[in-house]
Amino acid sequence: MPAPGFFNLYPAVVPGITAGNYKLRLTEDVQFKKGGETGTGNVEAYEPRLRVTSARYHMPPDQILSTFPPANAEGAFGARLPQVVLKRRTLPWERVPGPPLAGHTEREPWLALVVLAEGEAKLSTEVEIAECVTPGKTLTGPADVPRGLYLEVTDSIVKKVFPSREDLPLLVHVREVDKSDTELALGDDDGWMAVVMANRFPQPSVTQTEGGSVTSPTRYLACLINLEQQLDALPPADPDVDDFFIAADKVFDYRGQYLATFGPPEPDTYAMSASRFGRPVNPLTGLAMTDAEAEAAGLTITSRVTDAQLTAKVEPLSATWQVAAAAGSLARAKTGLGEEPYIAVRDAMSAGWRFPIDAIARLETRYRFPVLAHWSFTTTDGATFEELMLGLDVGLLGTLPAEEDVPEGAPPPPPRPRPLPEVTETGHVGLDHLIRRGDRTAAWYRGPLSPHVTERDTAREDGSFPVAHASDHLRRVTPDGREDLSYAAAFEIGRLLALSQPSVVAAQLRWRAEQYGAERAKRLASGAFGDVLGGIADHVHARDLGRFLGGRLVDELAVRPGDLLGPRRPVVDPGRPIADLGTGQLDTVLARGLGLDLARIREQAAQVGVVGAVAAHPLPVANLDQGPVLSGAHLNQLRLAAELDVGRAAALAVSGVAAETARQPDALDDLLGDLS
Amino acid sequence: MSLNYLTSSVVLHTALTASAKFVLGQKPAEHDSFGDRVLPRELSDFLARLRLLEGVPFTYLVPDAELMPLESIRFFYIDRAWTDAIVQGALSVGTISTADHTQLETVYPAVRQELDEAERSVRVKGHETAPQGPARTITGFLLRSRAVSGWPGMHVRAYREELGVADDAQIPETDPRRLKMLRLERLAPAVLLALFDGVPAVVHVEEPRQGIQFGFRPPDPPDPDPNHHVGLVPPRKISDGTEVFGPTQDDHWVRVAFRSGAPGVVNLRTTRNRLQAVNQTGMGPTVDSAEFAIQMLRYPYRQVFGDPDQQQGPPPAIGAVFQPKVGMAALKDLFLRGQGQ
Repeated sequence: MPAPGFFNLYPAVVPGITAGNYKLRLTEDVQFKKGGETGTGNVEAYEPRLRVTSARYHMPPDQILSTFPPANAEGAFGARLPQVVLKRRTLPWERVPGPPLAGHTEREPWLALVVLAEGEAKLSTEVEIAECVTPGKTLTGPADVPRGLYLEVTDSIVKKVFPSREDLPLLVHVREVDKSDTELALGDDDGWMAVVMANRFPQPSVTQTEGGSVTSPTRYLACLINLEQQLDALPPADPDVDDFFIAADKVFDYRGQYLATFGPPEPDTYAMSASRFGRPVNPLTGLAMTDAEAEAAGLTITSRVTDAQLTAKVEPLSATWQVAAAAGSLARAKTGLGEEPYIAVRDAMSAGWRFPIDAIARLETRYRFPVLAHWSFTTTDGATFEELMLGLDVGLLGTLPAEEDVPEGAPPPPPRPRPLPEVTETGHVGLDHLIRRGDRTAAWYRGPLSPHVTERDTAREDGSFPVAHASDHLRRVTPDGREDLSYAAAFEIGRLLALSQPSVVAAQLRWRAEQYGAERAKRLASGAFGDVLGGIADHVHARDLGRFLGGRLVDELAVRPGDLLGPRRPVVDPGRPIADLGTGQLDTVLARGLGLDLARIREQAAQVGVVGAVAAHPLPVANLDQGPVLSGAHLNQLRLAAELDVGRAAALAVSGVAAETARQPDALDDLLGDLS
Repeated sequence: MSLNYLTSSVVLHTALTASAKFVLGQKPAEHDSFGDRVLPRELSDFLARLRLLEGVPFTYLVPDAELMPLESIRFFYIDRAWTDAIVQGALSVGTISTADHTQLETVYPAVRQELDEAERSVRVKGHETAPQGPARTITGFLLRSRAVSGWPGMHVRAYREELGVADDAQIPETDPRRLKMLRLERLAPAVLLALFDGVPAVVHVEEPRQGIQFGFRPPDPPDPDPNHHVGLVPPRKISDGTEVFGPTQDDHWVRVAFRSGAPGVVNLRTTRNRLQAVNQTGMGPTVDSAEFAIQMLRYPYRQVFGDPDQQQGPPPAIGAVFQPKVGMAALKDLFLRGQGQ
């Protein structure tokens, strides 16, 4: 791949197969050997059909990377060859235009770019593709679109401006660029592109008059045409050689001749298009042709609607449409029915090539070539970019045009329509000034563009700048007594521009409100926290700080609740251990729990039974009416014990929290424990 | 271990820890604060564009049409005081009370500094980064020419020093000496405004590269008969595309052959044979389309503005420029005489 900024050129990239329908035939020979026996098998041939597609009547828009001159451009293109750059490098060789020239073996391109001035040829509107080639020729094989455009051109024009058959291969080449080079790659995906050049430098037309020659801008139409089956139409290698050309030479203007014969167009009648009534329309007048006119134009009216039919067919639009369509391509151009707006625009653009060439060039051989793409541009006489740049008047702003040199004895140049402005070396311009009191005076003004570096306001000692307000005026009095209104004007236009946009005004008001709010919050915070937060508040927007602190506090609480909110209460309290539960007798445990005298019950049970002994046993009952049962030293002892319990419980809880992070004993610990 | 529950000292401690972290680098989300900036984005955008003179009527830029004659280019410096004044004018909207004034004056140094940076990022494309640092001098040019209307999309580049290469040399887009383009806009069909971030020594204005073009060059000097057109092609080596006889026109240049009777239609076969007759091009016995295309190439034209000898002196003192016409002395004289009568 070439480096960015460089490119390689290749004469052709010819694809292996050309566009068309193909049949692939796959056969297989099978031989087998079984024991001493051999034989052949029979496998049915595999015959898939495939179609290699390529553009034929219409170039897909994504295949055109660029055109030169740009479509609808106007400029001095007289020394540049028009060209079109195609995305697929093999495109110009994907079809075989015809049998090769004697003595040549290389594949000829099937595309050519021809450039035609207004009036030299006719560009059709959309028609069936069968009509797109010269009558008598047919292009076999699949077509890419059902309808297409054609260029109808006479033999004499072909001989004058079309490339000769020998020239064709010279006009098409392939370019390879670095695809990351955006300027050269034009958005191509692989960096390979095909270039089709024209063979004609589009010249502005020159008319010789008595006073000399007059050059007028000329519109050209560049058409990318399909040459399949029609290579014979191209001119032979021309023997006449000129080292120069005369710009005033005319090729031929069929349109001009048509206008001279049939008169100028009458635009008012476009709306009253007669084509829906089944008659061909004179495209220049928009009127239905009379029979005589139509005959003169060489047209045969294919569908004639009688008055009786007309009444029957006027009502439904679709019916009228069919009638109009039947009236032929010529009629359809101006029907206005079913025409998309873009087609109307495109028609207007190519108006110079939409005229019935057959009405004028009746006796000449005419060819039709399918048009894959077309665009128009205007060539003017005039300076090229280089000449314009070299002719520029260069200077710093404030340089006035130089006085023209008047040779001795020549008449003085006409006075300037208005005097030259008063310009100082600093770039100030003297302007009339209507002051507020109504007096007319003069003032100095210099815009933002100055011929010299200017001083900018520097900061005062405390770092602030002078800021102008609406009530100030930024006028300065210059040494000659006039005011310098430059900065006053700047201030005022800035103010007006800001006021002209409600969104800017709103943004400023909002900005102020938020800044005040932020300042207030800052003051409040420093008042509340005093010196503690003072240092921080200098670094932090107080408006954000309060919210931020709240957020962080919640975060911290969530992360360390044990430290900040207290230990977590266990979900289930452990039960109190019951002494002798595992070893002692059940009745001993029960008796202690219920406050019974076990020995006495056992003794009585021997006499009256267990139930009787328990029933006879007095139950210990606390007498609540008599106040606390405990008092004095006994109570103090209990209290001490309770405090110890609470302290132990708290310590347990805290150590429980700590244990959450402590290491759990593992198998190694168990082993060590067993050994010790 | 002490058990401090949710008391005021705990809250304060947490707050201080959080604040310290905040100051040390944890910042709140960008969308709900200005970050380090004083100006909200929407305002700084507007003001930075104002600084680049967007929307300023053309008569404010060039107060008299004679300053911009037809077919001229005018270079200039941007008057920073003027652009500061326009920004102050815009900021004066909604500044009503004295308190507003005081507040605006307090924030203005920060606003000014922010705009110095914002004006450079107005025209920053995706992959570039805007240059940082204090604002430099902005320069630029106004071009009024048919070249602006006829060649839309021309390339403008400025370099801060002489490049030391031929004027038509290829210079990479990322050359470090290239000045950043702050604005390039057509103000009218034929008027182009360009602003650069810095003072250029060389400015290149280049024909737009609409692909690669093919064509001939007119003879120099031109043919005396304006209708008599001759086209010349410099033969090129096919290996690297350099001109065999150098870039200046001479007798060895090949004349393009034309088809007689059809202005502008090239006789390709004869032209090709003539090119083939030039020995040094390296073309073989036959000329293929790629070789022919190399011969017909026309590179985009580049105009170079700049002169190393031209030095910019200091600006003249204001008193030396304005010729006093009704100075204070005259006024005083008038006043005293008027009083005396």
